[in-house]
Amino acid sequence: MLKINNLSAAVDDGQKTILNGLSLEIPAGEVHAIMGPNGAGKSTLSYVLTGREGYDVTGGSAAFNGDDLLDMDPEDRAASGLFLSFQYPLEIPGVPTLTFLKTALNAQRKARGEDEMRAPEFLKKSKAIAKELKMSPDMLKRPLNVGFSGGEKKRMEIFQMLMLEPSFIIMDETDSGLDVDALRIVADGVNRLRSPDRGMLVITHYQRLLDYIVPDKVHVLAGGKIAASGDADFAKRLEKEGYDAYAA
Amino acid sequence: MPAHPSESWDLGLCLLSAQDPKSSLGCADILYLMGWNDMSVSITEQLPHRRMEAWKWTDVRGQTSDKLTGLSAAGLPKVTAPDGVALSMGAGQSGDHVMSKIAQSFAPEAVSLYVPKGVKPAGPVEVTEIGRGHSRIALMVDEGAELLLIEHHRADSGAFVNMDVQIHLAKGAKLTRVIVQDDPDTALRVATACVSQQTGSEFNQFTLGFGGALTRLETQIYAEGEGTHALLNGAYLLDGQRHIDMTSHMRLKQPDSIIRQSVKGVVFDKARGVFQGKFHVERPAQKTDAEMRHDALLMSDRAEVRAKPELEIYADDVECAHGNTVGALDDSALFYMRQRGIPLLKAKSLLIEAFLVGVFDDLADEDLRGSLTDKVRGWLEAKL
Repeated sequence: MLKINNLSAAVDDGQKTILNGLSLEIPAGEVHAIMGPNGAGKSTLSYVLTGREGYDVTGGSAAFNGDDLLDMDPEDRAASGLFLSFQYPLEIPGVPTLTFLKTALNAQRKARGEDEMRAPEFLKKSKAIAKELKMSPDMLKRPLNVGFSGGEKKRMEIFQMLMLEPSFIIMDETDSGLDVDALRIVADGVNRLRSPDRGMLVITHYQRLLDYIVPDKVHVLAGGKIAASGDADFAKRLEKEGYDAYAA
Repeated sequence: MPAHPSESWDLGLCLLSAQDPKSSLGCADILYLMGWNDMSVSITEQLPHRRMEAWKWTDVRGQTSDKLTGLSAAGLPKVTAPDGVALSMGAGQSGDHVMSKIAQSFAPEAVSLYVPKGVKPAGPVEVTEIGRGHSRIALMVDEGAELLLIEHHRADSGAFVNMDVQIHLAKGAKLTRVIVQDDPDTALRVATACVSQQTGSEFNQFTLGFGGALTRLETQIYAEGEGTHALLNGAYLLDGQRHIDMTSHMRLKQPDSIIRQSVKGVVFDKARGVFQGKFHVERPAQKTDAEMRHDALLMSDRAEVRAKPELEIYADDVECAHGNTVGALDDSALFYMRQRGIPLLKAKSLLIEAFLVGVFDDLADEDLRGSLTDKVRGWLEAKL
């Protein structure tokens, strides 16, 4: 589903190399976790895959369902099914959450040649998901993320994810800012989306999240590439032993 | 109606001192003083120009050519008034502003509107067809009366338009003034309002402007009574080589008044936005609570915004603040929106609309607020 081959990327106008020959393949139906020390390039990977400006690909390739991902605009990547749950979700002043999401959902549908979702159906769906995530309906009327706490913003990311139903999900430090109860609610939402035709990449610094979202594979990202891989238990060992052994 | 006090002050020649006209004036200004109603001096020479401090960014004289239609003629705007509002033609109130005087010389008759004591008409007064020439409106809202005034400023192609509005709000009167300025880019427009406010009166103004070859929308407020409220919000949206100038000057003379001002602008291409705002708080005006904001987004390297926020405060127990920002759209926010599937241009348009229309939040009439938002949205959809 997602095939990354020998990917290199740099920031600061190509001056600073962050990813350095990273290869990774995530088939449909699998959840992979990427762990690693601060500054290893975890967030950079998520931005390169989603097409953020300022992250220059200097080598290698990334294909999504066979299409060259790196050649697409960010909105086209989103329409093709790629979703990033941001480590630091942005505040969008003046744009009510539901207006934002309806615009996003219907723009994606239009790009895929599908019919727009009508307002009644959209509202019904949003109400049901808000209830599931224990979010107050009031939050959906407010400008997106404005004045929300860190935890509320993370929950809003999951809300958007459940509304948009992407086929591939990248979660960047989704657990930060969440208390245990919120973490469980968020994880339940994510686990509900696990399916044979959907892939996930969970980026996390701590093993804690992986108790709730159990991965099929765990990789260590260090020195800009995958330094080691293992199963779900590997994450527990990493938590205990630290990343020193994989330092570049 | 009391006449506006005569004093000289630095934001233009709105009020020139009759006693000592030479004290702060240059040669060009004296020429104007001698010539304003002297037909031997051409209209062009009477117009304010860039060597005058208050007009340094809006050179009306420099931009005016004889080819503009309506330059030396009276205009005839269409005014419709609801039941309860008296409408007549008359001499009107004379204003001291440079453009008011020019308007008086070409339009000796003013449209006079009077809202009697305590009357709250069901509908608005609407002013339309302000297409060319000089025109004058005098409005008196008497004690405890309320009015909604809507002005549609849309000029003819290649027209010169000068409109002067004299407003008097008696004790406890309330006026909401909504201005939509939507001229072709060949038109030159100056619209000047002088508003005097008596005790406890409330003035709310919402302006949406799209500029023109040259557009100046100016508001002068004289808060002569205690406890007056003024809200002076505006938004401008420009492209091409359009120019708009939103200038305001508020003078507070008595205690306990509140002023809120927020002007926001978005400038594309090689267009130019000008904001000049001044709060003048006189010594007796203690407990004044005043806030002025101007925020602008530059959408191209060649777009231009000039801002001059000023506070002049002689009272010692007041809260006065001003803020001014000029920036660009937030790249992180744009990326976030695109990651959710919103195309770049749509993302820009959503962010710009959200940025601008907040200045209309306090407009009580929901339909009117919606129509202003629709105008902004329509403009952005055509542009982006």
